[in-house]
Amino acid sequence: MLLTLILLPIAAAFLILFSSKYIQYFLSVAVLASGSYYSILLFTSAENVSFYLSSFFNTVIIAADIVLLLYFLYQGKKYNSLKVIVLAAVQLLLFLYIEHVSAGHSAQVVVDGITKFTIEYDTSSGHSAEIAVDELSRFMFLIINIVGGIIVLYSVRYMEDETATPRKKQLFIAAMFLFLSVMNTLVCANSLMLFFFLFEMTTLASYLLIAFRNDEVSRTNALRALWMNQIGGVVILLGVLVAVLGFGTVMFDTLLQHSGGVLFLSVALLSMAALVKGASIPFDGWLLGAMVAPTPVSAMLHSATMVKIAPYLILKLAPALGATLLGGVLSITGGLVFVTASYLALSRFVFKEILGYSTVALLGLMMALAAIGTKESMMLAMVLMGFHALSKALLFLAAGVLEKQYHLKSIEEMSALVHRAPKTVGYILLGFVSLTLPPFGLFMGKLFAITSVASLLRERPLLLIVLVSMIIGSALLVLLYFKVSSALLSNPSDTLSAEEERIPYGFSLPLILLSVLIVGTGAGFIVIQHDALLALLALPLIFVFVLPWIMRGMERYDRTEPYHCGEKEPFDTALIYYEPTIRVKQMIYWSFTLLFAAVAVVGALS
Amino acid sequence: MKFFTSFRKKSPWILHYNAGSCNGCDIEILAALGPKFDLERFGVINTGNPKQSDIFLVTGPVTYRSRERLVELYSQIPEPKVVIAVGSCTTTGGVFRGMYNVEDGIDQYIPVDVYVPGCASTPQLIIDAIVKALEILENKSKEIEKPFKLFGSVETIGNKLSRLNMAKRVKHD
Amino acid sequence: MIWIWIAFAPILGGLVYGGERVLRARMQRRQGPPFLQPFYDMFKLLDKRTLIVHAPHALLAVAHFFALWFSVAAIFLGWNLLYIVFLHLFAQIVLILAGYSVRSAYSHLGANRELLMLVAYEPILILVAVGFYLVSGSFDIAQIVRGGGYLAQMPLLFIALLMIVPIKVKKSPFDVGEAHQEIVGGVEIEYSGMFYEFLYMARFLEYIFIYSFVFIFAGVSYALGAALVAGVFLLVNLVDNATARVHTMHMVKIIYAVAMSLAIANILWIVL
Ligand code: SF4
Repeated sequence: MLLTLILLPIAAAFLILFSSKYIQYFLSVAVLASGSYYSILLFTSAENVSFYLSSFFNTVIIAADIVLLLYFLYQGKKYNSLKVIVLAAVQLLLFLYIEHVSAGHSAQVVVDGITKFTIEYDTSSGHSAEIAVDELSRFMFLIINIVGGIIVLYSVRYMEDETATPRKKQLFIAAMFLFLSVMNTLVCANSLMLFFFLFEMTTLASYLLIAFRNDEVSRTNALRALWMNQIGGVVILLGVLVAVLGFGTVMFDTLLQHSGGVLFLSVALLSMAALVKGASIPFDGWLLGAMVAPTPVSAMLHSATMVKIAPYLILKLAPALGATLLGGVLSITGGLVFVTASYLALSRFVFKEILGYSTVALLGLMMALAAIGTKESMMLAMVLMGFHALSKALLFLAAGVLEKQYHLKSIEEMSALVHRAPKTVGYILLGFVSLTLPPFGLFMGKLFAITSVASLLRERPLLLIVLVSMIIGSALLVLLYFKVSSALLSNPSDTLSAEEERIPYGFSLPLILLSVLIVGTGAGFIVIQHDALLALLALPLIFVFVLPWIMRGMERYDRTEPYHCGEKEPFDTALIYYEPTIRVKQMIYWSFTLLFAAVAVVGALS
Repeated sequence: MKFFTSFRKKSPWILHYNAGSCNGCDIEILAALGPKFDLERFGVINTGNPKQSDIFLVTGPVTYRSRERLVELYSQIPEPKVVIAVGSCTTTGGVFRGMYNVEDGIDQYIPVDVYVPGCASTPQLIIDAIVKALEILENKSKEIEKPFKLFGSVETIGNKLSRLNMAKRVKHD
Repeated sequence: MIWIWIAFAPILGGLVYGGERVLRARMQRRQGPPFLQPFYDMFKLLDKRTLIVHAPHALLAVAHFFALWFSVAAIFLGWNLLYIVFLHLFAQIVLILAGYSVRSAYSHLGANRELLMLVAYEPILILVAVGFYLVSGSFDIAQIVRGGGYLAQMPLLFIALLMIVPIKVKKSPFDVGEAHQEIVGGVEIEYSGMFYEFLYMARFLEYIFIYSFVFIFAGVSYALGAALVAGVFLLVNLVDNATARVHTMHMVKIIYAVAMSLAIANILWIVL
């Protein structure tokens, strides 16, 4: 099953290169269906599988890694970016050094030389497998394959309207498929070296896909994404180096079994990579820049799956974090990122950038919860991850529809959009509401998070910072989303007849699928809580179902125009932005840089 | 329903509009609302919003600039409603009568139920007028009341009114 | 019994509102309207012709009212305090969406202000809930009102709550959401007749909602609760008569700077 998840998208990616439009649709539906089927199967099977990779594969991966780093070096030289060159070179040196060092330990590490995969169930022998599927990775499979699959399906339709050569379009979709398989492998990688390779692969994917449109802006933004993510690569390698030197292992699970010594330094370095990948401030620049990429890319890489590596990594490391100071610092960082990113988003007017910032914010929240490290909070972080992927994918896909059908990008241009595009606005509103309000999953996650952090306050007063930032951040996100919706919603009186809106099926199908998933999983989440009161939270929603009925009754009331002080011409209000002054902004960035460094320092000291 | 009708006079909400007055009468209205005369003891609220008002309290002789707004505001007040013309200039043009830019009283445009004399009229008179208006209000039906005149042409009135009625909707200018 | 209270919650709120109008008039040495004035208004509104801008806009007001009623019912039933705060959030968002859904400048301004008000008081309400949890060990109101001594343990949180009461009942200095002289009632502006009535009654429910929070502070002693509510009621009206409205952003800043730090200090004090 695992192999299907990894290999199927690769096969589809090859086939895409030779297929026409309809086969592309067919392929993406097939991958979506089988991917979700197998991931659900894996999720319910609840057994922990692990694989050993043959040494042949290990060598291939090492070679591929070197090629990849050399490619980065080349790109850095081609576009004259010093940062990229330096970081790539540093990574290359570190990588080679680690290979050199770990070769000394290889007697322990490398096993059977058969060129086939050998499947073994987890044995408690001296070393562990390179690929290990645990509960967390099974959950990630669900997100990646279902949400990712839907996004790929969407991107087939999206590419039709793009101005590019057919070849390039095919390559684009193939890249999306490949990316699925990279993600699938990444979340079950147990070897840090494999993890590093795949991490760099995702960096490569976002670099190439951001630069897809190949104009000035995309180039610079892609390069920015590249060098920022390379910092992540560097810290991973440093973390691996520490692990290899300290414990002689490159495996997650063996590493986490150790305690004391340089463990914390290694863990701290790895979680710094999570902060980079999660575009936490001060690295938010790359994620915002990434919004120039075609929308499916933003949906897939920059909100639904790739950036989820950040909370994933922290969750993976959480057993070592627990109630330590390092865990505390990480969760505080996450909490503060949540508030600050929500605040910074208030000054943005490009729709996708707003979504991007709120992604940064929510990733911060997830990391904070994961870093707290209790069983409950880790579960909640996972829940938030899942629901966030669904809602954000929906929002991004709707943003893509706006972009392609109405040529709208900035919320300034979207006033009275509900009049022109009621359905799309409906989807966007569902996305907003599902991110903030009861009875939807993400809200529930936040609610339980508040409860669970509050229950920890007595033992760990430091978490008060996380709690307060969680509360304020949620309030700010409400402000953000509904401020944006103010632009979309203002509808003139019924006296003007509304136009019919037609969304092409290629767009509407993924949107409908996601909406159904959001509502369904939200309901499912409430059901599994076994809390009768909780179910009652959903009661206000009944209103939605009786709505059409009541609507018909509304015919009998007379219509009038809105009040404009007796004027005939309507006048509109401007949107409100809340922008920090430059000095405040600089202060924010500096303090977050310090916090980022503090993670390493705390790791080194403890 | 009969039962509800009896409450009309217990909670008259006011919309006050200045159709080009000298502000003399406006101040008197404010005085009537203030602590000394305390109109609120009749349940009066100065809403400032046509959609929630019952009594349209107009001052001023209707300047050219304000007549459109006058009619618009009037038509946005849901029935039943009464109109009180406060002050001499509002009823007849008063000191402004015959001037080049005024229309000599609001009753050229909208049906007036109570006229209040005085330049400026006094708070006592205004209170009396409201009490009187409440009697009228109680006997009003909920039929749509039409303003008389808008730039003299019947068609424009028709257009104006048609948007109150969903069935025959006309897209106006 | 409790269901009767729930059913009559809007009426109870109406009585509070009526009493408040009389009280305020007396403070200004006026006679003021009759005590039952809110109900007269309600009956009159039923008698008016109803004009609406568009159907969803009107319906959202109804939804707001029922969601609010639901959250008040949840208080009476002694539910989880956090859920209640978020149910209330839901009700408020419905109202805000209603405000945004018409193309009317005042309505938009009002909804913007409602949002900012939400940002201001929501965290305080949650922190108050967390305070109750830390002291009594449960978020459930049923559990909380069985304990006591909250005032002694969380006096600063009580002051923080006091600061947001004027926001909720729309009184000076924090009556920015309604601000009749400025934005003609804000989100309420486009409603008339029956649908305005729902918003009018929703205001009664807001009174019940926020004063229940004050009431819970007394814990097991209902007499103390009544005294607290009466005291806060008087104080809020006194402040209302004595102060001018502050700017919306200043309101947010004041709440965040003062009320928030009070609340955090108090929680730290409980925890440490
Ligand atoms: S009646 Fe006299 S005082 Fe009153 S508005 Fe007219 S001119 Fe002014």
